[in-house]
Amino acid sequence: MTSGPDDRWDDRVRDAYRRPLAGEAEARQRVLARLRHEPGAPTRGRGWWLDPDALRAPPLLAAAAVIVALAIGAWSGARWAGARHDRGAAIVAAARPFRATPASTAVAGPTTVTFAFRAPGASRVFLVGDFNGWDPDATPLRRAATGEVWTVDLPLPRGLHAYAFIVDGADWSVDPSAPLAPEATFGRRNALLVVGEGGAL
Amino acid sequence: MRWSAWAFAAGVALAMLAPLSARADESAEARLRARLGPELAPQVIEIVRDAAAQSLPTAPLVARALEGASRQAGADAIVAAVRRQASGLAAARRVLGPAARDAELEAGAGALLAGVPEDSLASLKRARPTGSLVIPLVVLSDFVARGVPAVNASNTVLSATRAGAPDPALLRMRERINERIQRGEKPAGASHAGLRELLATTSPGRDRGATRKGAR
Repeated sequence: MTSGPDDRWDDRVRDAYRRPLAGEAEARQRVLARLRHEPGAPTRGRGWWLDPDALRAPPLLAAAAVIVALAIGAWSGARWAGARHDRGAAIVAAARPFRATPASTAVAGPTTVTFAFRAPGASRVFLVGDFNGWDPDATPLRRAATGEVWTVDLPLPRGLHAYAFIVDGADWSVDPSAPLAPEATFGRRNALLVVGEGGAL
Repeated sequence: MRWSAWAFAAGVALAMLAPLSARADESAEARLRARLGPELAPQVIEIVRDAAAQSLPTAPLVARALEGASRQAGADAIVAAVRRQASGLAAARRVLGPAARDAELEAGAGALLAGVPEDSLASLKRARPTGSLVIPLVVLSDFVARGVPAVNASNTVLSATRAGAPDPALLRMRERINERIQRGEKPAGASHAGLRELLATTSPGRDRGATRKGAR
């Protein structure tokens, strides 16, 4: 079998491919290095949790994930703190005719408390306390059908609250049947109210 | 995504959430500025910020200042009241420990400022190491407010708590003692009698053996 011009050309091409290229070793290392960083590449000698490329996500999605995680943590912490806050606080209605009693209770969130104040002859009664910033105009009471008792329902957060009633814009009156604050800081004592998990004192 | 990108994402998230936690403080300060005026507000805000730096609850301080404004108290009286309240909260934290809840600190501060000895608060804490002290402290403060000497009031609440009296029992005792005072009994004697009644009827507690004689 004789070799023609075409066969010689094939041999020359084959020889050219077999000759080592300049810098081939470095190129091989570069290729292998990139392959190691491709997704799905095996991580030798360590778990996926130590692989810096194990988790891949767009930055906005990652930020959203972190925000959600932090929000869940803050919410859980707030619930835990709230549960600790007034564990053991009891529901006890204050004696009549002045009273602050729970109208309804909720495990989480504010407790609605009914404040009632007996003020025959009054033309207007307002409730003031730390829950409304001691604003004399924020929380008016409504006159009941009897005309002597004034009431208002107010959702209050858990905790210890101080309050008083203002009759006809001038007379600051304390609820005499409720626990009293130990100090008359500004000349008059306040009544105290404890709102806990089970309701309000 | 590389760790640096995750750190960036976390930083963005924190930057977005940080204002939420600061918003309450800013709201309180804005309210103080609106209600107290430009001269008084900075003095109160300084006390509030100092308390916040000590991890003390600031809401009672803000409320105290706003109460003073609503009662038309003078600037000096308001600053003094807020400062006194802050010192009471710090003392309560010292006595009740860093795990004390805000309401406990507030109630404890009131009791201390009313003259209840720190030892009494510490004893109360030891008597009820895990449960809330809010109701015992409120009852104690109420006794002091109604004229029971601080030492007698402390002993009454402490004895009842040591006997294992739950909060509703403490509150019933408060009502009975108040009724006695309103009938004209001396406050100290009324508190002693109220305690005897409670110990005679309270649920089993550590001291039940000593009080069974009076049980119904």
